[in-house]
Amino acid sequence: MLKQIPQTDLDYVEFYASKMKEDNNLFEQQKNLIESQMKSSRAVFRNLFSDGDFKLNARSYLRKIGLIK
Amino acid sequence: MKGYSIFDDVIVINRELTELDIFVKDFLEVLKNYSDYLIVSGFVSICSGRTRATEDVDILVPQMNKEKFENLFEDLVKNNFWCYQGDEAEGLFSYVENLNNIRFARLGEMFPNMEVVFFNESKKAKFCEFSNPQKIRIGNFEFKIPPIEFEILYKEIVLAGKKDFEDARHLRAFFSDIIKEENFKKYEGVIRGELRC
Repeated sequence: MLKQIPQTDLDYVEFYASKMKEDNNLFEQQKNLIESQMKSSRAVFRNLFSDGDFKLNARSYLRKIGLIK
Repeated sequence: MKGYSIFDDVIVINRELTELDIFVKDFLEVLKNYSDYLIVSGFVSICSGRTRATEDVDILVPQMNKEKFENLFEDLVKNNFWCYQGDEAEGLFSYVENLNNIRFARLGEMFPNMEVVFFNESKKAKFCEFSNPQKIRIGNFEFKIPPIEFEILYKEIVLAGKKDFEDARHLRAFFSDIIKEENFKKYEGVIRGELRC
């Protein structure tokens, strides 16, 4: 049973999902957040690796953060 | 309007495509020419409304032979994807042989990426979810995900991080009208088996 006043992060997730199930207008906010994140990420990495070979610079970064060997 | 509807066993999410959906759709349009697949993990929650950031989209792909992998790789490159692990398909086939993951992003971009998870029948849980796909559609984009109950249990039992519990709670609430308790019982054994491997 959903609590009336969400208190924890999990409560808020459940509250929002329950609202979204009944009202698809809430997807608009979700779209805005996702696309905003993608735009920011794109800008950060284009600026970071704009000098020289993107893939070379990207792989060097990925090795530093341990995502590739 | 409700958040989703069901038509002929397909879950139809009633929303517009996002840029993230289009990234996944473009990747699948190439992959589907070479292999079957299953989209798993975070994107399953996000495509059904979970509002959080993500960097990767996990996709299960059955282990394939070298020729098929090389053709797939070349086609992805031709369609403006680049591979984190390298530029030569031949040198990357060992990842497929050893069931290691490889990642692809759009050329000139770092994130999001498609994390390709190769598997074979020795991976019981992956094989189980792959063999019981659920179709889901957003606009004109239809793709395959695990049974919702499987995805929830996998996040709660195997992945079990804060983000995973939140994703699972989202799925439980959003799909509460179609979740079947008997399916939890059906999938729990195979998922707990993965923990013992």
